[in-house]
Formats: sequence, structure tokens, C-alpha cells
Amino acid sequence: MNKFSSRFSEIIYKIGKIFFDIFSSVGEIIIFFLDCFKYSFLDKFYLKIFSQQLIKIGYNSLPVVGLTSIFTGMVLALQSYTGFSRFSAESAIPNVVVLSITRELAPVLAGLMVAGRSGAAIAAEIGTMKVTEQIDALKTLSTNPYNYLFIPRILAGIISLPFLVFIGDIIGVFGGYLICTKVLNFNPVVYLQNTYNFVQFLDVFSGLVKACVFGFIITFMGCYHGYNAKGGAQGVGLSTTYSVVSSSILILLTNYILTSLFFDL
Amino acid sequence: MRKLKINIESLSKNFGEKKVLNKLNLKIYESESLAIIGESGSGKSVLTKCIDGLMNYDDGKISFNEIPDICKLSFQNKNKYMAKFGILFQNAALLDSLTVKENLTFASKNNDFLEILNDIALPKSILKEFPSNLSIGVQKRVGLARAVLQNPEILILDEPTTGLDPIVAKQINLLIKKLVMKNKITTITVTHDMNSVYEYSDYTAFIKNGKISWYGKSNEIKKKANPVLKKFINGIV
Repeated sequence: MNKFSSRFSEIIYKIGKIFFDIFSSVGEIIIFFLDCFKYSFLDKFYLKIFSQQLIKIGYNSLPVVGLTSIFTGMVLALQSYTGFSRFSAESAIPNVVVLSITRELAPVLAGLMVAGRSGAAIAAEIGTMKVTEQIDALKTLSTNPYNYLFIPRILAGIISLPFLVFIGDIIGVFGGYLICTKVLNFNPVVYLQNTYNFVQFLDVFSGLVKACVFGFIITFMGCYHGYNAKGGAQGVGLSTTYSVVSSSILILLTNYILTSLFFDL
Repeated sequence: MRKLKINIESLSKNFGEKKVLNKLNLKIYESESLAIIGESGSGKSVLTKCIDGLMNYDDGKISFNEIPDICKLSFQNKNKYMAKFGILFQNAALLDSLTVKENLTFASKNNDFLEILNDIALPKSILKEFPSNLSIGVQKRVGLARAVLQNPEILILDEPTTGLDPIVAKQINLLIKKLVMKNKITTITVTHDMNSVYEYSDYTAFIKNGKISWYGKSNEIKKKANPVLKKFINGIV
């Protein structure tokens, strides 16, 4: 009986610990967010760091986002042709390509790519600064790490992602155009006219709103996990992994939420 | 007459189950150089992080001049308090995205970095270098210069000679001695290196089991050390 009750209390303890850990992590993230929000109004804004981050997160991510978009557009055109040709609806391909790219694929794929590239880099950089006491050094140099490290990165993410996604939209549509006109023998003028006539402001706008949210998620999670890195190289590695995994999951989750919000409009 | 600068009373700090500092008491006086020695993991660095406000303590209090308990300072006042310290971190902790010049002038109240560069015996050409291109000995010198450039009320040196060869360690010790004597800054040095203790510290505190087990004048260590401290300074296992 004693053995049973101790086993039972052990199970209850483990379940309780899991919930405790989840809630304490959520609490820590909320506190980190509130601190970022508070210090963005209270302290100095580092314009130079912000500009550097715009280049690192935005400009330097252009090749990977561009490549992802063009191949996605090309594959989408080919796959759509396979399906639509079965019921002679090939003319709908430009519409499907532009709608899928602007509303879904460009923001989500750009988000995932930037999470892997820039989110990981942010977590690794800040994590290394944490374990090598550079963040402590900043504090003793009368510099608030929230203003020097986090806020410029988060703002740069929120601003640069929509630009990346907009460029990704154009490149993705161009990928579909390339396949349809060069491989599937579509009329180029008709293809472009179909695309232009079909696409609406809300299609592009909803993708750009998603990009802003994804930009925030990527940079925020990078900063949060980097700042909470512990130990040495292993701790920095773990913070990078957590940053990419949590950003990716949150991107997919918020994508669904935002899609369902825009679905009603 | 010694003037009290920092008064540490019954300071406790735990990490989970582990008691790192256990009701520790220590007094630090103005313009004196105090060395804190002890085994690895005995809580020396934790103690300095509690003193400079980088870490909160669980129990006890630290008073600094007219501030009765630094743990109760507001965020703004805590920042002002932390600005009173110049710290040389264990691995120098230079900001690796900035050049040496940018590190030295970062948030500095003093623009005479060329004079300090001269004091720490480094050439001007080093100003354009990034910390990753420098040896650890040079990084520590730059870290020391950065700490001094802040015109601190208290200088904290966390293991300034650890990881350095004996010659560079000796050079760093002499540099610290020169800077401490020139600027008359209250200095707290965390170290394993007894040469640092004998070279420039006025008083020494030995930490054992989270408490100060010996405190006295550094030049009297060998005469008055208790058996545990004797073992430590002589490296007896």
C-alpha cells in the first residue's frame, strides 16, 4: 500500500511539475515581453544597431527567401496544372498561384526561412553574449540590454519581414509565370492579365500583416531564448534550437489564427 | 581612520538546494584593496555579483555608503548604483561586435583613453582590432582599461590573472598595482593567484563554505593564517 501511494504521489508530482514548468515559462515570456515594451518607451533608442539589424535580418535574407519563393511558385504552377488539366481548368492556374503565394506560401515560408537563418543567429549571438558575461558588462556600462540588444532586433524583424514577403510575392508569382509560359505554353500577356485582374488588395495585405507578426515572433523568440541561455557552448546550442523550434511552431499556429481572422473578411 | 564603504551583513544566496553564500559578513573600506580568495565554487564571484547589483541575494543586506540596502533600489537607482562600479570580468567580456576603441569609449565618462592605453602598455594600433583577434592577456588589459575609464568608485577584478602565463600574469598584477595606486580606487579582487594578493591588496578575505573564514592584512597572511587557509595558500591537498 505504501509502495502504491509513494508511486502515485510521484506521478502526481511529475504531472504537477510539467504544468508548473509550462506556466512558469509562459510567465517568463510575458514578463520579458512587458519589459521589452516598457523599455522601448523609457530608454535610449539605438538607431545604428537598428539599421545594422535591418540589413542582417532583411537584406541578407533576400537570397534565401527569393530562392524559396521562386521554386515554390514554379512547383505550385506545375502541380496545379496536373490537377486542373484533368477537368480543363488550366486557365485558373494564375489565380491559384497568386492567391496561394500572397496569402499563404510567401509569408509562411519566408517566416520559416528567416526563423532558421536570422532567429537562430540572434539566439546564438545573444546567448554567447550571456554566457561570456558581455550582457553583465553592458549593464555595468550603464546600458540597458533591452534597449541595446532586444528592441532594435525586434523592431527590425517587424519591419523587414513584410518587405521580404512582398518581394517573395513578386518572385513567387514570377516563378509560376516562368513555368506556365516557358513549359506549359501559356500566353504571357493573358497570364499576367489574369493574375492582375484576380488579385485583390486584401490578399497581399493579409500576407503582409502575417509577415509583421512572424517577424515579431522570430526576433522575440531569438532574443528571449538567447537571453536565457545557461552554461557554455551547449547552453547556446540549446537556446538556438529552442528559438527555431518555438518560432516555427508559433508561426504555424498564428498563421492558422490569422488566416481564420482574414477568412471572415 | 578607515572609512566604511560597503557593509555586508548575513548575506545568503542559494542556487536550488546549494547554499553558495551562508550568512556572510564582510566590511569593505574606502580606498583599500581587498582580495577575496577561496576554492573554486566557494562563492567568490557570486559575492562580487551581489555587491555590484548584477545578482539579487536571498537574505541579508548590503549597504553602500548612504544606501541602506541595495536590493531595495528601484530600477533607475539600481542602474545609477551599478554605474559606480568598474568591472574586469573573468574573460574580459569585451563586446565582440565592437573594436577596441569602441569598447573603450562605450558609455565612458572619460575620453582620455589614449592615456589609459599608455598605462596598460598597449600600442595605438590595437584600437582598430576586434576582441576576437586579441590574446586573452591583451583582452584583459583592454577590459581593465575599460573598467578604469568609467571613473568607478569601486573597481572589481574577477580573476584578473587566471588563464595567463606567469609573465603576462605578473605584468597584469603590476598594471593593476600601478592603476590602483595612481587612482586610489577601492578595489575588490577575486583571485586564486596569491601573487595578486601579495602584490597589490591591502586586506584579504578567505571564503570557505559560504562564509568568511579568515580576514586580515595581506602581509600577515603567512603569519596569522588558520590551518585551512594555510592549506589553500600552500596548495596542500
